[in-house]
Amino acid sequence: MSGGLQGFNAWLLQRITAVLLVFASLALLLLMFCPPGPGFNDWQDWVGRPLTVIFMVVFVIALIAHAWVGMRDVIVDYVHPHGLRLLALSVLGVYLLGNLVWLLWILL
Amino acid sequence: MKFSIYRYNPEADQKPYMQDYKLTDNELEPGMMLLAALLKIKEQDETLSFRRSCQEGVCGSDGMNINGRNGLACVTPLNSLKEPITVRPLPGMPVVRDLVVDMENFYRQYRDVRPYLILKDPEPEVELRQTPQQRERLDGLYECILCSCCSAACPSNWWNPDKFLGPAALLQAARFIEDSRDQATEERLEQLDDAYKLFRCHSIMNCVQVCPKGLNPTQAIGKIKSRMLKKSI
Repeated sequence: MSGGLQGFNAWLLQRITAVLLVFASLALLLLMFCPPGPGFNDWQDWVGRPLTVIFMVVFVIALIAHAWVGMRDVIVDYVHPHGLRLLALSVLGVYLLGNLVWLLWILL
Repeated sequence: MKFSIYRYNPEADQKPYMQDYKLTDNELEPGMMLLAALLKIKEQDETLSFRRSCQEGVCGSDGMNINGRNGLACVTPLNSLKEPITVRPLPGMPVVRDLVVDMENFYRQYRDVRPYLILKDPEPEVELRQTPQQRERLDGLYECILCSCCSAACPSNWWNPDKFLGPAALLQAARFIEDSRDQATEERLEQLDDAYKLFRCHSIMNCVQVCPKGLNPTQAIGKIKSRMLKKSI
């Protein structure tokens, strides 16, 4: 399938990204307690703060990796015909990669 | 007492069906197990087929699905079951006849983990010794009787029985990985490290719920994973 990213490595990545997601979510929630102000521009500034950007980037990368491993597991479990599985994995891959690029585009 | 039992004879029946049986109160004894009741029913209808041998939960022959839950008929008390008692063959396994299932794939999974000590050094003249602590590591692993109740309850095993090894075989893998006398630990860990053999397990824990010996295959699989983690660092 996707080279070295299966079996134990995929499992480990799933666990590591899960922990990262917990930390990044908590950090972002805490950052929201220092409210930026009511207006659109205030929030835009908040999103532009280095600390927010760092945690958002960590969150987005961890989320996409976590979703790839998890969704791929579901597909490998249930979708057995080779063609259909390849199609499902391709759609998933393109979707997640598109999201990753798009989100990083916004953030960076 | 009412029973509803799965019947299928591939040579005569178009498809499986459920057949009702009754046992009167004077046929029942206090503390009776389900297997004893099945043997009574077999006196009424000798075409009913099921496996059994030791009748005390040691041989693992009479694994079946009892009121929706896998277990050994010989250690399942009748008074613990709701009527009508519905008995079916172990799910996910090909039916040979009535409650008798084809265990071949289960044994293939078992063979795949090489369930025996592998030595690279020449065999010693005397027995291989273990400290009590080393021996303790095998507790909860060696007691498996291979009844296949766990593997037949595992959804991961239902979806990928050809590539996933199932809880019973993985428990055996853990048993030999944890054994201080075994010298093929590395190879065993490497063999299990692919997308299917071990990592189709998603800790659903049906195996733990149904094991008639009270074993915990999910925990055994966890032990293998932590061994892999230690190896990778």
